Amino acid sequence: MTEYRFVQELPDLIGPEEYAEQPAGDLVRIRISVGDNGVELLGDAIRPEVLERILVSMGPEVIEQMLCG
Amino acid sequence: MEWTPAALYESGGSRLVCTLCPIRCKLADGQVGACHVRRRTGDILETRTFATTTRHFDAVERKPLYHYRPGSRTLTLAAPGCTFRCDYCINYRISQFGRDDEAPWHAEPVSPAEIVDLAATEGVSIALSYSEPSLAIELTLALATMGRERGVEVVWKSNGFLTAQALALAAPALAAVNIDMKAADEDRHRRLTGAPLAPVLTSLRTLHEHEVWVEVSTPLIPRVSASASDLARIANFIASIDPGIPWHLVRFTPAYRRSADLPSLPDSLAEGVRIGHAAGLRYVYVERALGPAGRDTRCPGCGDTVIARDLWALRQLRLRNDGVCEKCGTALEGRWS
Repeated sequence: MTEYRFVQELPDLIGPEEYAEQPAGDLVRIRISVGDNGVELLGDAIRPEVLERILVSMGPEVIEQMLCG
Repeated sequence: MEWTPAALYESGGSRLVCTLCPIRCKLADGQVGACHVRRRTGDILETRTFATTTRHFDAVERKPLYHYRPGSRTLTLAAPGCTFRCDYCINYRISQFGRDDEAPWHAEPVSPAEIVDLAATEGVSIALSYSEPSLAIELTLALATMGRERGVEVVWKSNGFLTAQALALAAPALAAVNIDMKAADEDRHRRLTGAPLAPVLTSLRTLHEHEVWVEVSTPLIPRVSASASDLARIANFIASIDPGIPWHLVRFTPAYRRSADLPSLPDSLAEGVRIGHAAGLRYVYVERALGPAGRDTRCPGCGDTVIARDLWALRQLRLRNDGVCEKCGTALEGRWS
């Protein structure tokens, strides 16, 4: 069961200058890194649910998410 | 999960009537309200919103509040629950507690004294955001009362769906609010949120009359608020209250149950800015999509940029402490210090 954590901040991987080039919002960008605690995937997407489906399919213990507001 | 005594209810025969939001649930003993965070126990009402899911230190610009102490920080709390059920809500794992299995209770009880102490030590205000803060009105009152002695103010990011009684109680406790106006039309607002629009409009006027600093956000939701005519109606309503109220146009992102729609394009947001200014609004903002210029505050007197912002940070301030333009002497609306 994946635990969702709400964090203050996550880095952006998509810049606002890319919004106009992606009218359907299909862009997903993922950065994979390996550290002492294992593999970490940092993702950014114009459609958050697309990124989430990708992350969930990998069965992570934790997904960190920023909130709106 | 703890239940604590709530404010805002009255007797209604055999039922107890919750007077916090305009739904006015009539509760039998043991019954939980439509918000899922207030319940009747005997002759009293109880709340479970003396709790928070987050303790985030944020820039006040992120709420967004652009004319309230620019460059300051907030300690952001969020108790689960919302009076709306918007189908595009990115925060649904908190806001839709009680309605969605993917929104379980994961908040911890809070001590107002501890929170105020933390905020005072850090020199920040306290924000209730992410979910619906009016459902945590008792926590808000406790934080404001204790915060007043320590110079700590409380702000809300809210949907504005409150009764007159709740507004009268909340307004003196609040330094600033950002209220969402999600539609110009009753039917579309109801379809999106499950609630009427009229109380939101009343809240905007009432909070402004009570001299709470008010800013407004409008997400450009397809078929709800994104058309030019809808944006013009919203802008005209805000301007009818006060053209100095800042209006934030929020890029729509397909999310939650509204994933089939397309995201807002920068051109649509730029058109929204033009519509806002045409309605007479002096300050219209777009957080990201139009670059740094979308976040700039320009002096209504001389047109110079008096506040430049990075994303969620102050870059440059050319106002005196009282909000007066250093160049031309025009006073800008806001709470500047």
